[in-house]
Amino acid sequence: MTAAAPGITRAPATMLPLSYLMAAAIAFLLACAGAASLAGPLTAHYYQPRVVALAHTVTLGWISLSIMGASYQLIPVVLERTMWSERLGRWQLGMLLTGIAGMVTHFFIGRWPGLLMAAAMVALGAGMHLVNVAMTLRGLGRFSFTARLMTMGFAGFGLTALFGLLLGADRIWKFLPTAFFPTLHAHFHLALLGWVAPMIMGVSARAYPMFLLAPEPDGWPAPAQLWGLALGVPAVVGGLTAWPALVLPGAFAVSAAVVGHLTWVARMARDRKRPRLDWGLRFVLTGGAFLFAGAALGLGLALDLFSGPRVAMAYTALALGGWASLTIVGMMLKIVPFLVWYRVYSSRAGRAPVPTLAQLGWPAAEGLAYGLLTCGMAGLAAALAAGSAPLILAAGAVLAAGSLCFCTTLARMLWHLAACGQRPVPTMGAHTA
Amino acid sequence: MNRGAGRPDALTRLPEASAVHLDVREDIRRGREPIARIMSAVKALGAAQVLVLRAPFEPVPLYAALGKRGFAHWTERRADDDWSVWFYREPAAPAAPREPIGRDQEALDIRGLEPPEPMLRVLERLDTLAPGESVTVLHDRRPVFLYPQLDARGFLHDTEDLERGLVRIVIRRAEAEPS
Repeated sequence: MTAAAPGITRAPATMLPLSYLMAAAIAFLLACAGAASLAGPLTAHYYQPRVVALAHTVTLGWISLSIMGASYQLIPVVLERTMWSERLGRWQLGMLLTGIAGMVTHFFIGRWPGLLMAAAMVALGAGMHLVNVAMTLRGLGRFSFTARLMTMGFAGFGLTALFGLLLGADRIWKFLPTAFFPTLHAHFHLALLGWVAPMIMGVSARAYPMFLLAPEPDGWPAPAQLWGLALGVPAVVGGLTAWPALVLPGAFAVSAAVVGHLTWVARMARDRKRPRLDWGLRFVLTGGAFLFAGAALGLGLALDLFSGPRVAMAYTALALGGWASLTIVGMMLKIVPFLVWYRVYSSRAGRAPVPTLAQLGWPAAEGLAYGLLTCGMAGLAAALAAGSAPLILAAGAVLAAGSLCFCTTLARMLWHLAACGQRPVPTMGAHTA
Repeated sequence: MNRGAGRPDALTRLPEASAVHLDVREDIRRGREPIARIMSAVKALGAAQVLVLRAPFEPVPLYAALGKRGFAHWTERRADDDWSVWFYREPAAPAAPREPIGRDQEALDIRGLEPPEPMLRVLERLDTLAPGESVTVLHDRRPVFLYPQLDARGFLHDTEDLERGLVRIVIRRAEAEPS
């Protein structure tokens, strides 16, 4: 009689995703502090060793590690498949941490051979993740909207890593036929639109209803997101590298995907049964507002309404800092307490008093993090557009304080992992059998 | 028995006075559990009476629960958040789609709850389950984190997809719970 689902063979891991998420949170803290310390260079062009090091701390250390870590929990939950190999996931984490640290360091000091070696380690780590995911999804009968977008995102991740490796090699051997900056822009947009966007959009279709207590979304926004990214990303990347005429239609296709995603999020927020939003959900919904602003600025850049490195950096701050980062912070405030609760308390649930998820968190610190991070991200985008070093420094300091509050909240949650074996389970007047 | 299709003969011929109306939309909006009111109304129904239930969503779990008591149903969707369901007796009312195994209790509906609340509700219910008894759980997805807990506590379980966003899990206590 015992039959869970064809793809579920064991309990999803808890420490593996937590390890990725903790490493990512530390990278976020470093990146926020880095934004403040690089206020001077950030007023000039984005292609400077230290600024590129900061960008990779955000994209690889914070965003990519978060998404990969979350996928070890979310793939079993939303796609109902047990991850193929958790051991591979652990090896992959070591490979990625070494590679990312090496890349950031070598970008910082401007040494290309060392950078290429570190980038190869990151590409190998990315390849291990893709093998793990491919083996996990092997035999999946029905590819839902979420499964399709996640598959698209993982393909985009592999291509982004390969693209980055080629760019690194080109710094040494100069073999790419395309102009450098358009190729760099293509690499960035492949990461943002081909990796980060489909993963967030795909996961949100299953995870947001779960947290907002809203009906699962449907209707025209699904094909708008799917086809908008499927057609828009190749067009934008191809347009930036080879056929410039494709950039604008690609930007419109991506905009359609953004409109579809924001429509879904707005509908879920409107139709939710949960009366009061917690801080995690406020982060997620505020991230949507940053996506709107970032997409508008990106479309303006594609239409040549704006130009120049300052606007490009403001666009990057809105998209990666505002949308992706705030969304990830919000999701982590939902995922981390659940993983900790499951690991520590689930075996006692129904038999003894156990704390609620809310009791694992620290709402005051989460609220402070919300205020600091949202103001800091908006302030950073404005300061970058204005090219003002004092304002960038101020925004960076606010962000660093916000990320410290966020990390403190996570540390308080993780404390339960260490404390559970040394003292009785806290009751806190919660659920009892 | 169906959703929005032609009204069954048993209801077409029904005098209006035989319909007992119960509107639980406000209860649900205020976060109150309406099941007690519904079951009281069902118990109070006369042989020739029908219950007309008004709810903000389709009350799928009730179909099986009242089906076992001999009630058929006919559903009318007035709007996305306004449903009317007629529960009426037929001479040979079909049973619920699939009978759960063992001495079944009322279905435990854990849809629309934020994790880990569904797991807690199930585990708390299981704690009161006697050997051989089963509980039917309605959930909006396969609870992948619950299964290991069920296995570890010696429960047998079977999961079935009923429709998009609705799975039924039948859980039975097989033996004495391992210490």
